[in-house]
Amino acid sequence: MIEPGRYDAHVLIVGGGATGGGVAHDLALRGVRVTLVERGELTSGTSGRHHGLLHSGGRYAVGDRESAVECIRESTILKRIAPGSFEENGGLFVAVCDEDMEYLEPFLDACADAGIPAQRLTPEHALREEPNLNPEVKAAVRVPDATVDPMRLILRFFATAQRNGAQIRPFMEVKDLCVHDGRVCGALLHDHATGQEGEISADLVVNAAGPWSDKIAAMAGVSVPMTPSPGVLLALRGRLCNMVINRMHKSGDGDIVVPQRGLSVVGTTSWVVDDPDELTVPEDHVERMYAEGSKLIPAARSAPRRAAWSAARPLVGAKGSGSGRELSRTFQTFDHQQTDGVEGFVTITGGKSTTLRGMAELCADLACRKLGIDEPCRTRDTVLLPHTAYYTAVA
Amino acid sequence: MSDPSTADNRQDVSKIETRSLRVYRYKRGDGGEHFDEFEVPVGPHTTVLDALRWIQHHRDPSLALRHSCHHASCGTCGVQVDGSEELACVCQIHDHGDRITVEPLANLPIITDLVVDMTSFFARFPHEHPIIRASGLPANAEPPEDLEQYVRLEDCIECGLCLSACPTAATAHEYVGPAALASAQRLLEEPRGVQREDVLAWASQPEGLWRCHVGLECTRACPTDAIPAERIMALRRELTFGGHHETKEHQR
Amino acid sequence: MSRTALPGSAERALPGPVHHKGAGPAPNGWLDPRGRAVGGRAFALHRLTGLMLVAYLYVHLCVLSMLLIGNSAWSSFVALVTSTGFLCLDVVLILGLLFHGLNGIRVALVGSGLLVSRQRTLFWTGTVIGSCAILFTALHVFGALR
Repeated sequence: MIEPGRYDAHVLIVGGGATGGGVAHDLALRGVRVTLVERGELTSGTSGRHHGLLHSGGRYAVGDRESAVECIRESTILKRIAPGSFEENGGLFVAVCDEDMEYLEPFLDACADAGIPAQRLTPEHALREEPNLNPEVKAAVRVPDATVDPMRLILRFFATAQRNGAQIRPFMEVKDLCVHDGRVCGALLHDHATGQEGEISADLVVNAAGPWSDKIAAMAGVSVPMTPSPGVLLALRGRLCNMVINRMHKSGDGDIVVPQRGLSVVGTTSWVVDDPDELTVPEDHVERMYAEGSKLIPAARSAPRRAAWSAARPLVGAKGSGSGRELSRTFQTFDHQQTDGVEGFVTITGGKSTTLRGMAELCADLACRKLGIDEPCRTRDTVLLPHTAYYTAVA
Repeated sequence: MSDPSTADNRQDVSKIETRSLRVYRYKRGDGGEHFDEFEVPVGPHTTVLDALRWIQHHRDPSLALRHSCHHASCGTCGVQVDGSEELACVCQIHDHGDRITVEPLANLPIITDLVVDMTSFFARFPHEHPIIRASGLPANAEPPEDLEQYVRLEDCIECGLCLSACPTAATAHEYVGPAALASAQRLLEEPRGVQREDVLAWASQPEGLWRCHVGLECTRACPTDAIPAERIMALRRELTFGGHHETKEHQR
Repeated sequence: MSRTALPGSAERALPGPVHHKGAGPAPNGWLDPRGRAVGGRAFALHRLTGLMLVAYLYVHLCVLSMLLIGNSAWSSFVALVTSTGFLCLDVVLILGLLFHGLNGIRVALVGSGLLVSRQRTLFWTGTVIGSCAILFTALHVFGALR
């Protein structure tokens, strides 16, 4: 452990979601001075809103091997550095029709290839472990999926970063970036708690604004290919399963049921939008969640609706004519000095909630290279503070 | 199925239903607490959170509010709607009248607008605060061989609605409150490494267990199955009569 | 000024206003039993009747002190308080006493962790007992049972 603020270099991180929190934690552990600003509450952008799946990578094994490998590696690390944050009951991929059965062999092969432990169960065995499963289940494969409370997991990163000297400031919005002579040197900030504005200077600005990355990038006069892709999620009253139940087929709508406390979350659909602040919740998507969810767990059909909402995936890639499902879920860093000739500015975007630590490592490596700081990443083995420490353990 | 990216969202303005939201405002420095009123378009499933975010995006970007999961699981969006504690993300606009008042939670310091400072809320909890517990739901599920038992997240989502609703907390400002006491009772039910004597000693403190006057507003306000009132009484029973007293794993 | 200083820091460090629910109308305050469930109503009435009984105790002591003044003052006082109007007030007083007493038993039970899941049943049982008792008392007070 090195002392906080060992280096004079000051990094401003824009965005208080999973990505920003991960980068703040990584850089703070390397002794860099960090300020993180977020226009709303931490994780209020998109990170807090997903169904709570800690990916084993099974969903990506067939079709996006890179993401699958990232997921199994990172989910294992997260379970180690954030113990006590997960409903670690595993997950099932279930086949409920003949068409699904065609996916079984490719699925098992792909999991083996990606290093995802996968164990086939008989239907009877699966039904004993998950009594609410569709009784017509034809095959089931167990993978190390888990459930996480997204906000609380991410808050652990913020709590630890803050303890290590990072300045975390929600309700502080970036109004503009300060650019001089082809170099981003700070930002103009608006404090929503007071209405005051002021400038802050930084040696490096990290754009971790998720689906809003392109808006922040535009302030520096550069662009990132960001395609916000929302999907509808449905939370049902009642805990219908303990394991995450996935449909054994190619990625599609409503093919997952995630238990979370006393709720069961069914997801999801996919479309693309221009403005991640304008998300609708079409009722026919909700109806589809009920329909598809009940193919996995028949009791879902009559479970009361607790909430239906949508959240925007931050997909990296140009907008095509598709639904967004064709774009990869992997993540990317952009050193804008290399891509656009603008110094002092990097963007880290894309990715999945499960890979937040790995994304942050890559970004922090880039940041330190640019700042001339030679410090290794320490986040693989640093156990995080509990989420409550964000409030009660202010240094 | 609809593709919302191409849907024509233009509607005949005269047919759009609206509601009037009266929202508490407070910005530090200028000192003034006041209410702003907004006319918000609503649909059949619009929640108070939807309405507030519409105001942020279309009328006043300076409106500050807390939210995260949008499905009553993170506990960040607690507010008072017409004086009743609610999670904004699941509070249906149509359950209220034409003019809806939205204020921040009571008994916690206000940072700005609808944002309260949760520091004092979390400071009241016992030191040990595990959020994972044994799962007995669904019933009759057999865990796989490599798991000792199924586990799940605790019911309490630390939203603060119970503290806001508690009539004792309104006048006894140091009272630890229902959520903290319920959390302590959970530690007796399922110790997870915590010593029983420590929990009982913590609960018996002057601002602890005995401050409760059985108003029972906390369980009424609670948006999950955390049942704080029942847990406080279970804790009292253990302290009064000794022995162990547990609550059944609860699901509404 | 340090280059890491954020706007509004000084104001954010100040303690903020705290809203407390007072005795106002439900659901904002504790006093008004309207719009509440059984638990909250019982709580509100318990506090009200408690205050009422304390006030009555003071009045009662003042009244008893009249005994010190003399026979005639006491006699005219007795005539006043045996009038119909006052007897009605007596019934109200006893109603308050019954409520506070019976609900007090309920609070003592529930508050010790006994019969918690039946707190509503306890309330309605107390209501039945109290209703019978007040009926009996009223009849007795107005002389029907003499």
